[in-house]
This record gives sequence, C-alpha cells and structure tokens, in this order.
Amino acid sequence: MENRIDLALKEAKGIQLMTHVVAGYPSLNVNADLIRLMARRGVRLVEIQIPFTDPLADGPTIMRANQAALDAGITPAHCFELCAALSRELDVAFMLMTYANIPYALGMEAFLDKAAASGASGTILPDLPWDEADGDYAQAARQRGLHPIMVISPDTPAPRLAGILERASGLLYTTLKVGITGAGTSMDQAGVDYVKALKAKAGLPIAAGFGISRPEHVRMLDGLADVAVIGSHIINLMDADGLGAVDDFLAACQE
Amino acid sequence: MSTISDMLPRHFGPYGGRYVPEMLVPALEELEQGYLKYKDDPEFTAELADLYQNYCGRPTPLYFAENLTRELGGCKIYLKLEGLAHTGAHKINNALGQALLAKRLGKTKVIAETGAGQHGLASATVAARFGLECKVFMGEVDVRRQYPNVYAMKLLGAEVVPVTDGTRTLKDAVNATLKYWIQNLKDTHYILGSALGPFPYPVMVRDFQSVIGREARAQIMEREGRLPSHLVACVGGGSNSIGLFHPFLGEKGIRFHGAEAGGRGPEIGDNAARFGGSPKVGIVQGYKSYFLQDESGQLQDTHSVSAGLDYAGVGPELAWLFDQNVVEFSPITDVKALDAFKRLTRLEGIIPALESSHAVARAIELAPTLPRDEIMIVNISGRGDKDIFITAMELDRENWIAFLENEVRHGK
Ligand SMILES: Cc1ncc(COP(=O)(O)O)c(C=O)c1O
Repeated sequence: MENRIDLALKEAKGIQLMTHVVAGYPSLNVNADLIRLMARRGVRLVEIQIPFTDPLADGPTIMRANQAALDAGITPAHCFELCAALSRELDVAFMLMTYANIPYALGMEAFLDKAAASGASGTILPDLPWDEADGDYAQAARQRGLHPIMVISPDTPAPRLAGILERASGLLYTTLKVGITGAGTSMDQAGVDYVKALKAKAGLPIAAGFGISRPEHVRMLDGLADVAVIGSHIINLMDADGLGAVDDFLAACQE
Repeated sequence: MSTISDMLPRHFGPYGGRYVPEMLVPALEELEQGYLKYKDDPEFTAELADLYQNYCGRPTPLYFAENLTRELGGCKIYLKLEGLAHTGAHKINNALGQALLAKRLGKTKVIAETGAGQHGLASATVAARFGLECKVFMGEVDVRRQYPNVYAMKLLGAEVVPVTDGTRTLKDAVNATLKYWIQNLKDTHYILGSALGPFPYPVMVRDFQSVIGREARAQIMEREGRLPSHLVACVGGGSNSIGLFHPFLGEKGIRFHGAEAGGRGPEIGDNAARFGGSPKVGIVQGYKSYFLQDESGQLQDTHSVSAGLDYAGVGPELAWLFDQNVVEFSPITDVKALDAFKRLTRLEGIIPALESSHAVARAIELAPTLPRDEIMIVNISGRGDKDIFITAMELDRENWIAFLENEVRHGK
C-alpha cells in the first residue's frame, strides 16, 4: 500500500515537517488558512486532531485548544469535512489524530470508513494500544488505504516495540522525551542516540516530536529522523502573534 | 506477552484494560509486577494489617442501627462505620496499601487526584507518615467546596494543585495527575483513589478496599450467625462499594445495591448516574467502562451535591457486575441524600458523609419493603464533618452565613 504519506517521504529532500492542528481551534476557517499556509511552506504531513474532552497525552496548550473547539460546537463530522475539503485542494497527507473514545463511539469500522472517505492518509490514536481487544485496528486501517500510525516513547520496552513494529506502517512516531505534548524542551545527546538506534531497528520512516519549538531542534534532527513534528509551538505562535508568526517559523525551520 | 498479567485480572468481561499512551505502559507494568510480588508477601501483609489496626482503628464497627430499623419497619439494618477509620473515610485503606507498595518500589514522591478531598487527605496522611513528598490534584470547583480537606492536606505537608481544565472536578483531576505522572515516572507513584483507571489499579484498589467486606462478613457471622441478604453502598468511582461487595460475591441470596448520584434530576449534566437512562460504554482515562457521554463520545458534565460521587465514569468491575445483573444501581437525588443525611444523624447519632448519605437514602427506600428477618448492611463510607460547608448552607443557611460573616470580621 502506498499513499500520500509514502509519496511525501519518498520525494523528500532532507527532513520533513509534520504539523499539528486542532480542528475548530480557533475556527475551521482559520484551520484552513493555516493549513494552506503550511502547504505553501512545503509541509506535506499534517495531523488534524479531532477534539476530545479528555485528551490524555496532551499538554496544556493543546488541551485548551481541544476544550475551546468543543465549546464552539465542533464535532467529529466537522473534522472529517475539514479533512475532505483540504485533501481535495492540497497535496498534503492528512492524519486524523484523536483519542480512543471517538472511534469507539462511532464504531471503529465506521470511523476508518469516514477517515478514508475524507481523504486522510493515516490515523493516530495514542491511547488505543494494539494489545487490547479493540485496539488492533492496523489491518482494518490499511484495507482502507490508511496508515495506522503508532506513537512510542524512548522507554517503550523491547517486546512491546516488537508488537508495534509488526503493525505500524507509514511512519513510526516517537516522542523525544517521556512526557506529554508541550513546547519548551531541548534535544540532548541521549535523544540523538535513541533516534539513530530506532531508525536502524524499525525499518520505517521516523517522526520525532514533543517539545520541538525552535528551528535548531529541526536542524538537529536532520539526518537523524525523517520527520520533525511540531505541535504545541504552532498553537502558541498563532495565539500570540497570528498566522504570520507561524509562517515565519516554518520558513526559518526550512532554511 | 507478559505472563504476569495472567495472574491478576486485567479485564472484567469486556471492561477494564490498559488504554493509555505508550509512555505510561512501563510505569504500569512496574506497578503490576510490584503489586503481584508484594500482595501476598507475609511481611507486606503483616505491616499493612498492623497499620490498619493500630493507625487506622480497624476493624471499624458493624453497628446495628436499631432506631432506623424500628422506624422503617422492615429488615434489620447494620451500618459498617468506615467513617470511624483514621481520616474519616474508607479512602485510607487504599492509600495505606499503595503507600507501602510505593516505598517498596523505591519511590520518594506520591501524587493523587481527589474529588471530595477524602482521598487526597488519606494520601497526604500516608505521605506524612512515610516521609513521602506529596502533591494532590484537585478540581478548582472541588477546592472551593471542600476547603476543610484542602486545609488539612496542606497542614499535612502536601501541595494541593487546583486543576482549572474542563469541568474542574474529579475527572479533570485524574487527567492532570496522569499527565504529571507521565512526566515524572522515575521517582513518583500515583496513588489512584478509586477502583478504576488503567490495569492494575482496578484490581489493586479493590483488593485493598476488600478489608471492608471481609470484616463485615466476619462481624455479621459473629452477631447473627448468617449472611445478610442485602448490601448497600454509594458508587462514585466504585471503591467503597466493590470493597464491601467483593468478599460476598458468588454467595446465593445476596442482593447488591449501588446508589449513584441522581443530582438535581435526570437531565444531562444534572447528575452522575452512569447507569440511569441508557448507559453507554466508552474508553476514557485508561479503561473501558460505562461513561456519561454524548453520541460523539465526549464526556458530559456531571453534578452532585457530593463531590465524591461527581464523576462521569465507573470502575470496570462494577460495569461487568451490572451487565450480569449482580449489582443493581439506583440514582439518588441531592434532595433525598440530604434528607437521609438528616435522618441518620437524628436517629442514630451518626453524621454520614454526603456520599454515604446516598447509600442511606437507598436503604431507606428498600428496607420497608423487606421482611423483618432479613439483614441489610449499609456502608457508611465516610463521616460528614468534611461536608459542613455544604450541609450547613443547605440546612441552616442563615445562621451559618451569620457565623461565617462574624468569623471573617473577627479574622480581619
Ligand atoms: C466518603 C466517601 N464515600 C464515597 C466516595 C466515592 O468513591 P468510591 O465510589 O470510590 O467509594 C468518596 C469519594 O471521594 C468519599 O469521600
């Protein structure tokens, strides 16, 4: 199976950026402008988060964005629509990211059907582990042309990593520290060594994230990981200084 | 996979499990293995038994409520007085067990979530006793309505962290504690306060709380020479109820009753009755169970006069017992709970916690319908001192406000 994620990575020169938006924050229209701006800056991998009341792996910035989007009445249906409209318009691989209860409430098959129909290229469900009865959805996702993207951490024990590698495709998403999302950490040598070893073992492109907030972080990962994930920092920039600040940051990351 | 997980139940029917981000898994595996190693270790169990007796005042009494029984005119009612345990509620049973385990796992810090503040108080207490650093996460709404416990926690040396996310109640405190834990796994143990969350918490908390049911069973056999036919407990997350019920499960002829928060009524957001209306299964906060949620899977707001029952989920073992028609759940409104609170106080000289008052209210509904020779045990999970700011405002408003104003004037 090959979809836009594979194409984006195949055609990449150097490290790719993967950005994160919370659907409906601050509004669906601003989401669309933001994603267009990202695409103009060469971003071809974008996570669209379907907001949830209890986002267990997210730090304060993304959590507040989730809550604000929900307060504004955003439902999963809006998120699928956003994804559908932009995947028709842009050559971007969208990954729908959310928490287990959203696909569970809809029914996993129905969720995957909708994700595929909205043009998404992958799903990210960080609190749905593959070793729970209803967490082993990788095959069902691939049958619909979606990569099941798994999130691991530097402390993931070897037997679990093996179970994950049997199922993951498209990308393997790893955190650079043990922690929740949120801007403000730096990369150390241990992180560098970890990504190197993981890449050798995984046989999959590696996306590294959590804490990337400076262009230097991206450059540090260049040659190590295939993808640098930027989440909270984009929301912080946008909240403080608007879309222009995001544009400047993405430009600086690609210098 | 881990052979060890075969030895502790990870699931109860389809419920429970370990639905967490991958980075929490190593800590939960460590806890699982630690619990398995120590739960039947003679030194560990002896130390816990000693603390239960000499620190907590266990066994707590099983008291025959003669006046209540007479007034209701039905079955014989016994009260298990968990409110007489140290710190005033059953929460200490679990907090002590987990603190002993945390020590053995080499942890120097503990964290806890709290709703009513009882679990936070119990955690702060055991932290003080064992020289552990302690942070308690508490929804801002609960900080406001349970200040006496906040004060006590601080007095005990714990840091109380107000949680300002989401509904600013118990579920948000759980999220905040889990997130803090993810960032501080190495030296920190999370003392989860109810029989819920990711495996192994539901089984571990249930085991520590089962001391309630084991004692009640021995006490009723001694007093009556037979088992009760009805057990009644309030159900927040489910720890005092499963603790009472578990040692009796499988016995024929016993009915198990869970009293949920009926709040202001059946409207969405007005209660925390997960089994009222049409119960809906979900996967939230690390486990699969019934949750109050909308059709998209977003958790709904809850309300209860008692902070300890004000929670959108329920422990997975109770979910499974519900499916099997073993435990029957009923919503008890705020009004009924307050009424039961007054009645027990006047009739027996026992001031129950508002949470426990829900169980009393359910007993008041049931008892008159039951034959006189039947026996009912009601768990009084806590005492009512902590609720003085709520009950006094509801039941003695003018005098209470005058008192508060006077205190403030003098304080300044
Ligand atoms: C006195 C008391 N009873 C009951 C509860 C409800 O919790 P659970 O259902 O876990 O026993 C609480 C929770 O804070 C409590 O403080």
